[in-house]
Amino acid sequence: MKNKEVYRFTAGGRFVHWSHAVSFLLLLFTGLGVLSVIFQPWMSIFGGIQVTRNIHRIVAVFFTVVVILGFIIGDGGKQLRRWVKDVVSFDKDDFAHAKNFPIEFFGGHKPFPPQGKFNGGEKINSAITLIGMLCMGITGYIMWFAWAFPQWLVQWCYPIHAGFALLLTALLIAHFYLGVLHPDSNQALKGMINGWIPSQFAYEHYEEWYLNEVKDVKEREVV
Amino acid sequence: MTTRKTVFVDTSLCTGCKACSVACKAWNDLPAEENKLIKGYQSQVETTSKTWTYVRFVEKYENNKMNFMMLKLQCFHCKDPACMKACSSEAIYQTESGYTLINQDKCIGCGYCAANCPWEIPKVDPDLNKTFKCTGCIDRVENNLKPACVSTCQPGALHFGERKEMIQVAKARLAEVKKEHPKAQLYGDKAMGGTTYLYLLLDDPKVYEMPVDPSTPVSLTLWKDIIHPLGGIAAGAAAIAIAGGVIANAARGNYRAKREAKNTDTDSDQGISS
Ligand code: SF4
Ligand code: SF4
Ligand code: SF4
Repeated sequence: MKNKEVYRFTAGGRFVHWSHAVSFLLLLFTGLGVLSVIFQPWMSIFGGIQVTRNIHRIVAVFFTVVVILGFIIGDGGKQLRRWVKDVVSFDKDDFAHAKNFPIEFFGGHKPFPPQGKFNGGEKINSAITLIGMLCMGITGYIMWFAWAFPQWLVQWCYPIHAGFALLLTALLIAHFYLGVLHPDSNQALKGMINGWIPSQFAYEHYEEWYLNEVKDVKEREVV
Repeated sequence: MTTRKTVFVDTSLCTGCKACSVACKAWNDLPAEENKLIKGYQSQVETTSKTWTYVRFVEKYENNKMNFMMLKLQCFHCKDPACMKACSSEAIYQTESGYTLINQDKCIGCGYCAANCPWEIPKVDPDLNKTFKCTGCIDRVENNLKPACVSTCQPGALHFGERKEMIQVAKARLAEVKKEHPKAQLYGDKAMGGTTYLYLLLDDPKVYEMPVDPSTPVSLTLWKDIIHPLGGIAAGAAAIAIAGGVIANAARGNYRAKREAKNTDTDSDQGISS
């Protein structure tokens, strides 16, 4: 297992992930200007609030298109179904992993049952992201084209949009920490960069996936 | 000390002449807009960014008798304005005299106020990205003049004065009008904390297509009083947690352990860039 790597994320998957990352950061930054007056001075970085309001809309459209394309082109559809299926099938092993989260988060370690392609914590992150972005998109377009919708619906879009924005931001902060700053779990980042992660790491974190799906099949020696 | 003013709209005396609408345009330098007949004599569906007040016409038939009711509409200047609560840009403010006003320098034209006003009064000008509504003629009122619409009204349907005084006048008129219109009632004395525009209606607000119990939308309270503070706490907690995580990992020597492992096993590193 040493000196070996397994293939974790396809180019399409990585493309959707990073498009999402860049779009999310831009949407968050430009959205802050309308969220609260405190952030309005920052908007001058891009040329003022009227410019950032338009950037917000352009990025939203770009993001919508990229996500749709990413899930259509190539085997994107198959991967999306796999991802959603994994997330939906949240079972007691996933729960056993997720409940150790606070311990792992602060650098401790506690044994957990073998995990599939996505572990319990990742499934929760994925589920909130999926539902969150769907709600952000729907409410966002309704607020943009408010004239076409009844007033009560537009009114409800505001708390939903703001609520998910703040929740997703909290999630992003935790996700960034685990992917980049955490001394152990940040090995996963390599999978999002070139697609490959160390086999040892895969075995330790996604034992079931590693042994049943990718071992030898999608594994390579590291020169 | 400035005291709270009130405009009393006595619909029983309104003749639907629309002079108020014209006077408002004249005083506030608002351009004319293309109109079409909506129903009866009504030529305006709603307020616009360039028409801050208009007259709504209602024809009600009862026992083969037609009741012709007219109603001048504009911003009500609520005591607890939903528009002000909704504005994220702190562009809406209140005066002691009882007016709710938009500071055009701060307004970004997001329309949050428009979507949350129970009467859908403020309107965004899409070209200017600014939102407009009745200013209560604050420039006149603060210089001891009556609002333009009030001073132009010939049949005496509009009165302007101290709030206490206006409420007295309104109550007296109500007692009088009730003899002929038993369903007559005051509108705005309690709603939204008590509106600066106080109405005497001849019938139920529903008949005038007005909300019977205008109030701050529940979604707005949820948004501003619960989600905003909670979201701020959540984002702050996440930031504190990661700082704590980095410190905890460093204290446990996890970063050092990782570096040492790397130094003895350089192979696994080279693989990444290949
Ligand atoms: S009527 Fe509407 S716009 Fe006027 S103060 Fe009340 S909530 Fe604000
Ligand atoms: S349109 Fe202007 S006044 Fe209305 S909520 Fe937005 S910034 Fe505030
Ligand atoms: S108070 Fe002034 S701004 Fe408001 S409707 Fe009357 S004339 Fe127009």
